[in-house]
Amino acid sequence: MMIEVLFVLIVTAMAASLLGVFLVLRGMAMVTDAISHTILLGIVLAFFVTNDIRSPWLIIAASLVGLATVYIIELVSKTELIRQDAAIGFVFTALFAIAVILVSKFAGNVHLDMDVVLMGEVIFAPFNRIDILGVSIPNALWQLSIILLINIAFVTLFYKELKVTSFDPKFAYIAGFSVALIHYGLMTLVSVTAVAAFDAVGSILVINFFVAPALTAYLLVRRLGAMIGLAIAFAVLNSVAGYFISFHFDLSVAGTTAFVALITFMIVFLFNSKGFIIRRIQKQHQKKTFSRAMIMMLMNEASHESLSQKEIMSHFNLSEAQFNRHISYLIANEYMEKDEEKYRLTRRGEEFTHYTRLKYELPA
Amino acid sequence: MIDILTSYTFMIVALGTVILAVASGIIGTVSVIKGQSLIGDAVGHATFPGIVLAFMLAGTRETLVLALGALLLGIIAFFTIQIITEHSRITLDGALALVLSSFFGLGMALMSFVQGNPDFEGTQGLSDYIFGQAAYMLRSDVYLILAASGASLLVFILFYQQLKIYIFDPVYSRSIGISNMLMNFMILGITITLIAVGLKAVGAILIVNLLIAPAVVGQLWSDRFFHVLIIAAATGGISAFAGTYISTAGNDIATGPAIILVLSAFVLVSLLSARKGLLRRSILKRKVGERS
Repeated sequence: MMIEVLFVLIVTAMAASLLGVFLVLRGMAMVTDAISHTILLGIVLAFFVTNDIRSPWLIIAASLVGLATVYIIELVSKTELIRQDAAIGFVFTALFAIAVILVSKFAGNVHLDMDVVLMGEVIFAPFNRIDILGVSIPNALWQLSIILLINIAFVTLFYKELKVTSFDPKFAYIAGFSVALIHYGLMTLVSVTAVAAFDAVGSILVINFFVAPALTAYLLVRRLGAMIGLAIAFAVLNSVAGYFISFHFDLSVAGTTAFVALITFMIVFLFNSKGFIIRRIQKQHQKKTFSRAMIMMLMNEASHESLSQKEIMSHFNLSEAQFNRHISYLIANEYMEKDEEKYRLTRRGEEFTHYTRLKYELPA
Repeated sequence: MIDILTSYTFMIVALGTVILAVASGIIGTVSVIKGQSLIGDAVGHATFPGIVLAFMLAGTRETLVLALGALLLGIIAFFTIQIITEHSRITLDGALALVLSSFFGLGMALMSFVQGNPDFEGTQGLSDYIFGQAAYMLRSDVYLILAASGASLLVFILFYQQLKIYIFDPVYSRSIGISNMLMNFMILGITITLIAVGLKAVGAILIVNLLIAPAVVGQLWSDRFFHVLIIAAATGGISAFAGTYISTAGNDIATGPAIILVLSAFVLVSLLSARKGLLRRSILKRKVGERS
């Protein structure tokens, strides 16, 4: 039974991250965050009408509010009176505030708990079951699997359109693609996925399931197909790791998975071949090579053929430690020789400066 | 009506929220003009694990201690965003969404740990920081808001000239010897501080509205920086007072969301009818059309 929790988590993560790839490429991550907050208003309103937390009307109403959020943000920022980021910030908080007031005012004693709505708890998913072809499976798993299939179908059918409109919307428009249709199609699916995922992972964390795997993949690859594949792989990895860690330490599953996603991202960010640490090391290396080349260039000049340690240090503003490191390297590689406290270039060192001049295109 | 206005709880809560909203309105204007308004959103969410961590380490629900935890995690979140955007292809948009949700996830994981652990007592109050519980504000909480807002505004006034130049012409400001990095950190430091002390009043999710909405109203009514600041401060203050009144008068209405609804009403009205608003604009358009 507990393994079903993991299945729900994985299916949610896959459905979300598949769309997340396009959200990241289109720079719509924060708009999605806004949606994931405002769908609460749709859920609350539909709940007041139907009084049934499992009613399909909740999904429809929430998706409509999600779409309305996107539309209002676009409408406001299109007037050019307010910047888009400010528009996102105040539109979603306003709609969310209405939802919070409605919940606290009217739903205090009914079955709509703010904590569960916001935070979700995937642990409870197996308790709500449904019979499909005689097999009993959790309702959430059934719903999310269907949504995963719809998302896969959408991306497969409109792959070309999604690709063009994500990377070059102006060209797509001129070439006759219906940019608006793809845009709102994508945002509709985002809303539907967010609503279905909300009682598994909560409305604040669902954004993490959308963007974290896609962002991690974006660090590594440059091809869209590879990015999608990798994003889904990271989504599964985060879910599995988050699931086992949270069970071991008895933590919130969704919360742990979200934080594990940041750790996965940071590991890739720091250690990938173009990442933070490798780049730092390369920079250091470049700096060292350059300093050594410059020391040799100086000593290749007739007036500086033979220099003392002090002269070299003051010339390049080197510390004792830096000087020793450079000189021991240069001597060990036989670019330089020491002669009664004075340093001078060897034949090999002079040849090296010749190549340095060529490399930096300096006059001989 | 007079009963409510003179009641002790109302006065305490109103004093706290009004001062907070005035300070946030002024500081938020800078972030909005610089296009950094959503950083406040990310930092706001990221303070939640700070609250829980501070509670776990210090074993108390003292507001000051929790605010320090919130401040620390807010700063960490900000630098994480900064490092990610500076050293990779990830845009600010993506980095904000990632950091905001992951930090909030950490907060939830820690929260579930604390709640399931008999070593920790009195955890009920912690989730109040997500939505804010202004009704439970104490005199000491108001002093904290007062001190933080006062210090923030003092720094703002002291560096007003430099800030103004930095905001509108960063290249010029650097050439006359103002440290742009210092100015940026100063603004973010103040923003994070205000968020940290304001959590108990409005909560981690909605606090960003206090920073953005007043500035938006100000910008709609004026183009002069000083006027925008004054309008933003006034809008924030009036909304906070009205929101607190509504929440005290109507039962079971949370203060934070009430303030934000009033602020949103201000934004909506301004968007339509302000000097640069949509109605004026369409009237102007029609006039131009008639003339040609």
